[in-house]
Amino acid sequence: MGEPIDISYVLEYLIKLLPTLRITLLIVVSSIVIGLGVGFIVALPQLYKIPILRRFSQIYLSFFRGTPILIQLFLFYYGLPEVLKLVHMDVSRVPALYFVILTYALHSGAYLAEMIRAAVGAVDRGQVEAAYAVGMTGFQAFTRIVLPQAIAISIPVFANLVIANLKDTSLAFSLGIMELTGKSQTLAVMSRHFVETYISLALIYFVISFGLEQLFHLLERRMQRHNRRAATEKKEQSSKKLRYRWLSAGIGFSRGGRENEA
Amino acid sequence: MIKLTKIRKSFGRNEVLKGIDLTVEKGEVVAILGPSGSGKTTLLRCINYLEKPNDGVISIDDFTVNCKRSGKKDIHTLRQKSAMVFQQYNLFRHRTALENVMEGLIIVKKEPKESARSRSVELLEKVGLGNKLDAYPSELSGGQQQRVGIARALALNPEVILFDEPTSALDPELVGEVLAVIRKIAKEGITMIIVTHEMSFAQDVASHVVFMDEGIIVEQGNPRDLFRSPKEERTKQFLKRITPEGIYSI
Amino acid sequence: MKLDFGFIWTAFVQLLTAVPTALAITAVSVFCGLLIGTAVAVIRLYKIPVLYPIATSYVTFIRGTPMLTHLLLIYFGLPIIVDSLAEALGLSFRSVSIPMIGFAYISFSITAGAYMSEVVRSGLLAVNQGQIEAAYSIGMTTTQATRRIVLPQAFAASLPNLSNMVIGMLHGTTLAFTVSVVDINAKAQIVATTNWKFFEAYLAAAIIFWGLTIIIERLTALAEKRFNLYNRGGVS
Repeated sequence: MGEPIDISYVLEYLIKLLPTLRITLLIVVSSIVIGLGVGFIVALPQLYKIPILRRFSQIYLSFFRGTPILIQLFLFYYGLPEVLKLVHMDVSRVPALYFVILTYALHSGAYLAEMIRAAVGAVDRGQVEAAYAVGMTGFQAFTRIVLPQAIAISIPVFANLVIANLKDTSLAFSLGIMELTGKSQTLAVMSRHFVETYISLALIYFVISFGLEQLFHLLERRMQRHNRRAATEKKEQSSKKLRYRWLSAGIGFSRGGRENEA
Repeated sequence: MIKLTKIRKSFGRNEVLKGIDLTVEKGEVVAILGPSGSGKTTLLRCINYLEKPNDGVISIDDFTVNCKRSGKKDIHTLRQKSAMVFQQYNLFRHRTALENVMEGLIIVKKEPKESARSRSVELLEKVGLGNKLDAYPSELSGGQQQRVGIARALALNPEVILFDEPTSALDPELVGEVLAVIRKIAKEGITMIIVTHEMSFAQDVASHVVFMDEGIIVEQGNPRDLFRSPKEERTKQFLKRITPEGIYSI
Repeated sequence: MKLDFGFIWTAFVQLLTAVPTALAITAVSVFCGLLIGTAVAVIRLYKIPVLYPIATSYVTFIRGTPMLTHLLLIYFGLPIIVDSLAEALGLSFRSVSIPMIGFAYISFSITAGAYMSEVVRSGLLAVNQGQIEAAYSIGMTTTQATRRIVLPQAFAASLPNLSNMVIGMLHGTTLAFTVSVVDINAKAQIVATTNWKFFEAYLAAAIIFWGLTIIIERLTALAEKRFNLYNRGGVS
């Protein structure tokens, strides 16, 4: 099938694909930003053990981690207009891209919620007690003491979630979005140089995810620079836990740890 | 009888054992003392071949291994002649107390399950854990874990039991129960080599005391002489640091 | 909204026929992935020369690219390799005789292998060195120590990751439609085109995946109870 392989095309297709990287990154960035908001909202009832709401957020997590992102894409694309018709909203002319971003945001939101919960839980209880002891309010203790530490802890997990999200965007083509993968498919079919096109495609994804990884590494080091010694100590203590988190988060399509029994 | 001849061991450029000669008679209880970093734990681990010595000869009973030409089989045979009690207990985490003791009997000694079981129960009763047979290590205190460790070593009926600082990971209040068990089995005539920091215990239980420093044996002898009137300056210094008064009463 | 519950049921029943395909792809890729992953983990843990950089680049590349690109590369690239090899060796075998699902098996196994190597690696690293020493000290051979002490503990420690891996691969089977395999997702498309009730069809598909995922999680929880019994004392 297709033309004989000529590796020299790889560079050419790389250049042709690059403009669509914009769409891919647009999906990643906006869905992660929205997803963080969603994640907070979903994590809060769990953190504060709010009775009924907690049940809802559990179901939310279970659903978004229990079904494939591709199925979710179709479900929202076809289902949301139907649901919104009930409240007399017509979204049938809204571009598919918005559905895609929404779906990825809700999907990532589930994993981000897990991340937030785990990170807040990982901050030593004594830190909060110490904050209260010096007279901070609950809000102050959270924003000034818990949050900065929790952010530092969650950077590796966050990095993996962003990279997983990037890789997942390759499925947006199924709704006709012309992001990297979508573009590469038309390019491949038109040129009949399938292998070369997909090598270019893979290379772009690889460079971006590799770059992101390095970037987050740097960020992590920066964030822990003021207390390097304490950081390594902390790492020693919780390295096993973190490694496990990191690992399970690394499993691209199913991200984040398992639902913890809490 | 255990005979070590010219045992040498280096980690990279750092020579930890600089030619150790040591003979332990059957039924003897040998305590190895010395400052940390003196090589005493490494020596013990060499006897069990958990560290491979670079040079020297180890013989236990009638079996001799030349460390320069040791094959897999030699190591395996040698290990079966000794048993080790670890500082960190190292009980098999996924096995109950009883299973920990039985494991070696069934897998290594190929004993039938029933007799292995009854012997293991007997040994656990002996170390005072007859009521903890089905407990997992994570459910036991450090002292209890170490007593299981001792029972596990005893089960194999080894020529020698090696104790690597058996009480130094324990909370102070748990040290006593473990030492009591070691004392008890010492009286039964089992050959033991103990690396320890418990001076009074060494004095009390050991029939022979070895003082090591910087990879060599500085001085050895019976505990009475060594503690009362050490000959070497390094031994004196060490004992002085351990007990400010510098005087040991027996 | 007129949700056609009758059709959700119809779609559900029809989609069930695609479940064995999805489970087969999951099982094959998890199993082969475990083999590849173990080999890669061992190579990386023992830093075996020559193989080490290959194993590391394999893991880095696979983890840095979407599973879909692996499938596309295998689907279009493998036949070229197979055919030129067969030609060079004078074999009559041609890539056209590889069934479509074969590409899914191969590609997903390669994907799974890279992630699985991390699972195996962390499982093995979770076993304390002292456990192996203790096994040696009571006279076990390396094989005995590996089989009776290291593997059971490593397995217990990896259970959560293994479960995630299985779920991930199960969800990944939805990509198989790109190589014309009728998986649950493809079946949902087919069922829906009869009357354009896509929402209902995908709702049924989502229910099936959700159910399967919950079953896997429950089984894992059971297995954890069984294999992690020894951790019940908590810290140690």
